[in-house]
Amino acid sequence: MNNKNLYLPEMATINEVIEETANIMTFRVILNNPDAMENFSFEPGQVGQLSSFGTGEATFVINSPPTRKEYLQFSVMRAGEVTSKLHSLKPGDQVGVRAPLGNYFPYEDMKGKDILFIGGGIGMAPLRTLLLYMLDNRKDYGKITLLYGARSPVDMAFNYEVSSWLERDDLETHLTIDAEFEGWPHTVGLIPNVLLDIAPSPENCVAVTCGPPIMIKFTLQALEKLGFTDEQIVTTLEKRMKCGVGLCGRCNIGTSYVCMDGPVFTYAQLKELPNEL
Amino acid sequence: MKFQEELKDSIRKALPDLDVVLGWCGSFDPLHATPHFIRREEDIDKLEISPLSVHNLATYLPGLRGKKVGIVVKGCDSRSVVELLQENLINREDITIFGFPCTGVVDQAKIKKALGHAGNVRTCDISDSAIVIQTEDKAHSLTLTQMLADKCRTCRYPDAIISDYFVGDKIGEPAPLETDYAALEAFESLSVPERFGYWLKELDRCIRCYACRSACPLCVCRDHCAAESRDPHWLSQENNVRDKVMFQVIHAYHMAGRCTECGECQRACPVDIPVLMLKQKMNREIRDIFQYEAGVDPEATPPLLSFNMEEENITEKEW
Amino acid sequence: MELVKYLKSADLKSWLQELARENRVFAPRNEGDSVIFAPFDPEQEIAIVHPATLPPKKTVFPQSEKLVDFTYSKDPENLSRIMIDGKEVLPEGTAVVFGGRPCDVRGFTMFDRVYLAEKSTDIYYQARRENTTFITLACEKPETTCFCHWVDSGPTDATGSDVLATVVDGGYVLEALSDKGSKLLTSTLLENGESRKDEARKAHEKAAELLQDAPDLSGAPKKVLQVFDTMEFWEEAAAKCLSCGACAYLCPSCYCFNITDETIGMKGTRIRSWDNCMSAQFTMEASGHNPRPTKAHRLRNRVGHKFSYYPDIHDGVISCCGCGRCIKSCPVGTDIREIVLQAIEYEPAVGEEQADEQ
Repeated sequence: MNNKNLYLPEMATINEVIEETANIMTFRVILNNPDAMENFSFEPGQVGQLSSFGTGEATFVINSPPTRKEYLQFSVMRAGEVTSKLHSLKPGDQVGVRAPLGNYFPYEDMKGKDILFIGGGIGMAPLRTLLLYMLDNRKDYGKITLLYGARSPVDMAFNYEVSSWLERDDLETHLTIDAEFEGWPHTVGLIPNVLLDIAPSPENCVAVTCGPPIMIKFTLQALEKLGFTDEQIVTTLEKRMKCGVGLCGRCNIGTSYVCMDGPVFTYAQLKELPNEL
Repeated sequence: MKFQEELKDSIRKALPDLDVVLGWCGSFDPLHATPHFIRREEDIDKLEISPLSVHNLATYLPGLRGKKVGIVVKGCDSRSVVELLQENLINREDITIFGFPCTGVVDQAKIKKALGHAGNVRTCDISDSAIVIQTEDKAHSLTLTQMLADKCRTCRYPDAIISDYFVGDKIGEPAPLETDYAALEAFESLSVPERFGYWLKELDRCIRCYACRSACPLCVCRDHCAAESRDPHWLSQENNVRDKVMFQVIHAYHMAGRCTECGECQRACPVDIPVLMLKQKMNREIRDIFQYEAGVDPEATPPLLSFNMEEENITEKEW
Repeated sequence: MELVKYLKSADLKSWLQELARENRVFAPRNEGDSVIFAPFDPEQEIAIVHPATLPPKKTVFPQSEKLVDFTYSKDPENLSRIMIDGKEVLPEGTAVVFGGRPCDVRGFTMFDRVYLAEKSTDIYYQARRENTTFITLACEKPETTCFCHWVDSGPTDATGSDVLATVVDGGYVLEALSDKGSKLLTSTLLENGESRKDEARKAHEKAAELLQDAPDLSGAPKKVLQVFDTMEFWEEAAAKCLSCGACAYLCPSCYCFNITDETIGMKGTRIRSWDNCMSAQFTMEASGHNPRPTKAHRLRNRVGHKFSYYPDIHDGVISCCGCGRCIKSCPVGTDIREIVLQAIEYEPAVGEEQADEQ
């Protein structure tokens, strides 16, 4: 047993707010306690509870990579009470951070392999942390392919980075939007269809995917069609959470608690769980 | 009950066209009944109608909207059905109503009190006038009228107000055993601090399970209840008696002129808080102001769901 | 050395009063028609003849408790900037709970496996659990809703308790079961109980004899999971359920909670309060998606957690102590025993393969 208070957040200051899309904002926060900030360590894919005292907490992936430590980044899509409150915050405002929580992407096991990222909408946030981590440790990984889709160009978060990703020759980036849009130079089409067009080889490859449930459903079918096995597909889940430490009883799927045993699961692991996503 | 077989026959006749028929059957001990969902022919045999048929099955109707549902109703339950129809919360053509002449249902709390403890009931025999309960060490003979729920002691509608099938002979308008609102009036004679003190004491043990709300046939806000709403933030989630009082007040106001006083809120409360009185208070005011009684006329509009520029009995402009 | 004492019934209140000098003492008493655990008041009768309406769960896991107090203040350097200061509020003091039943107190051992786990120790729970001593009253006879012996327990099972009290002629035999328990049995009001031990043992034997045969639930974890995808099973089981929280809040082993912020002016508190998996809002996500959208899904989780998921994780221990309150106090008589037995006996219709589509 340890004496850490599971519920007491570290106070942090918002350093920068980036308006990503009409309903997604990115917050870069710095823990107020310099020692805590200095010693903060996490793994790509782990989440944190971001809180605005007086409103409450909500769970977000830490989408800055562990290799870049000057701030912690969270991207927040406005959906409910807490996210709406967070969207009203400005640089200098105070938030609480309980992090890191949960498991992480098996990036060690992925070494030496080709990596295929498939992100839809806000689902790009958890992939970003792993992508940047891998780019910072580029030699450890084989070919890296990114397929990132959004409803339309204005719904595409991380726009300012995407252009630099497109320029890299050690990263193959495909961008897609759902429907024709004037001036859009990239692909148009739903992610699963574009994926089938790109037809990446499953040979020695791991697919990492995150996005809205309907996209995941058809993306998994497309990956299967391309020959990916269940073990080669990694995804990260989202569930309503309160405690984030396996106690409050919300996020379990059968015996697995998304906050502790997840949020990262292989498709093979998901298939072992009861069907309650 | 004499008409039970007749009722089973009616249900048997209607069941092929229905998804489910709601009735009652035996439960975990001989003193209790439980709601019975009849889906198949063989389920009909388990149906039991008795003074233990306490549950108001109309509570299930809004949740079964879209299905063809049969429902067995006591007179009081039928008032909830009527009120649900008045508020367009159910469709008449989807509901098949089975009525019977109800001679009253028991109040389990009164029986528990009479027995001292009701945890070891072996048998329970109910006749027209008595309930004989055998516990592990003793046979208790209780007078049925004394064990009846308060609503039965003041009942004026023992026969279903509306029904598609009615079994047995209608009772008509009985002479109530007690006058309406006698207990309420006695309570109202107390001073304000005494009354408020009473509610603070009674509601202190509330565990906020909201069984009162869930058992109420007309509490239909479901996922949008003020009890849990965070935006607007009506109530604190703290274990704080004032918030518990506040919820009951909100509930009572929301039920004013809609509540048929079926008493399910109070019956459902696991810690026996007498919350029905709050609704009775509202209803008596509604009766006095609007001469209105909820759930007796399918064509009527509940007074607080309509608006008149001038109300006969409301004098806002006293000056 | 085993410590056994005898307390005369007439001295019970005096003894609890002694204990109340240094501890918060909780004992069951009548409130309206219910029996609840409340701070001991010598002016009021102790209601211990029958099990209480509510278990003493709140003595260790309060209906609501403060986690963090926070205050807003203006940054003197920059008045447009609001500073927030959050401080943990840990429970203090010791407590004694008198008159819980074996099932009531055994419920805490089911909390312990989760709340005192190495990887995530809940220090609020830990503080209360360690500082609370349980004097548990052995049961003399089962009620119709009792089924502790179905779930590997019994009317005199003292698991989780510190002192076991047994009613004997004229008083109680008090057996210390832990150091905490021994420390409590020092009053001069207590006599040596060695000579009464036999009497207590006989009472225990008599209570065991009154139990009816218990069905074998060892297959429950597997069987309950097997019907997971059979929605028809859960829809029928949940048909009469009202989706209220009575079962969970009356349950000695239900431990789910909510966390909310409650503010007044410049001050506020982050609290933890009881929550229950039968509530539609429990798993409702901000997007509107709900992984447990109907009461059938929610009842499946409640039964599944107690009889399958929890035992799977925790050495086969069923997370139900068999107190029967969820049956007795359910407004519509939902019987969890019936549901578990039906799951165990459930035979899928021929050709009904579980279509798994994730």
